[in-house]
Amino acid sequence: MDIKNILKKKKKHLWQYLILIFSGIIFLILLSVFKSQRLNQFIVFIAFVSFYICWGIYHHITDNRLNLKIVIEYIIIGFIVILLVKLLLI
Amino acid sequence: MSKIKDFICHLFIPNEKNNYQGKALHHDFLTVYLLFALILSFIFKKIDLNILGFATDITIEKLYQLTNQERIKNGLSTLTYNEKLSQAAYLKAQDMFNKNYWSHYTPDGKTPWDFLLQVDYDYEYAGENLAKNFLFSQGIISAWMNSPSHRDNILKKEYTEIGFAIVNGLLNGEETTLVVQMFGKPINNIAKLSEKNSPLSIKKIQAATTENYKLIITNNNKTISLKNYFYNFNLAFFIFLLIILILDIYYINKLKIIRLSAKNFSHLIFVVFIILSLIIITKGSII
Repeated sequence: MDIKNILKKKKKHLWQYLILIFSGIIFLILLSVFKSQRLNQFIVFIAFVSFYICWGIYHHITDNRLNLKIVIEYIIIGFIVILLVKLLLI
Repeated sequence: MSKIKDFICHLFIPNEKNNYQGKALHHDFLTVYLLFALILSFIFKKIDLNILGFATDITIEKLYQLTNQERIKNGLSTLTYNEKLSQAAYLKAQDMFNKNYWSHYTPDGKTPWDFLLQVDYDYEYAGENLAKNFLFSQGIISAWMNSPSHRDNILKKEYTEIGFAIVNGLLNGEETTLVVQMFGKPINNIAKLSEKNSPLSIKKIQAATTENYKLIITNNNKTISLKNYFYNFNLAFFIFLLIILILDIYYINKLKIIRLSAKNFSHLIFVVFIILSLIIITKGSII
């Protein structure tokens, strides 16, 4: 699979990736807005992680590749982030 | 040697033996990371509640050292640490928690200079910088140096002495770490002796706060490595995850592998945002 094919495949889901990147930017902006408010920042983290899990599931549904293992993978990664960030914020 | 090489390849590079996905990204490994994070979170909560009770890696020594470094860089004399200024700073921080405000002036109209007089510090020049909810001392000094008014305070040539207080408490219902930096130049001793007759009540407050203040310094020293350690651990873990995801994407494309697992490109985007967020959360606010 050369770069052109990868890009062609990625183009199919380009808007979904754009939404993920856009939400990531919003997430960083919100963290800056809630600067020094640790609880609010932690809520923003939870919201972003929840969005990411939902995004992952939706993305694989549209790709007809959704299975339980994939859902668990997204949930595990999300929980790792929440637990580690919790150490720093609250 | 070849066994180590094989093991590293097994961990990070997709091949037939690891079902075309680096073992470090398999579900069992991800579960181990999750359990480790869970244990770490539990241990930290125990230590934090039972022993330390502090949520930052800010120390008076570091703040003092960094402030003087900035002054030296700008060709100014270093400031002498003054216990009375630190006590005034501690009183100010406690007052902010007790009356629930975040400002240089108290809701009942007291100025920062009233706290200096409260600890019997007669000043010719005085200044105050405030910061809250930073994770590291360096972040506070950088934020102050990037703000013209705070920078002017740090680099004011008239000041000769400095004091700090780092106090934890509840501000607007949220756990907050306040840092108060007080600058001063005392009126010379001869003038002070001739005009000052301190009231007894002021000396009482001073005696009561000295003990608390010493406690703050002691507690804060204990946290030096802990918070720093957790931050570095977080950063190192997510960079590790980023590297194995990049390796995975690279080899998947190179070896033209098609597999039925989650797309690591999306994980990669997610982890990049998490790493960027870790940089943002170290910053607090200043006034």
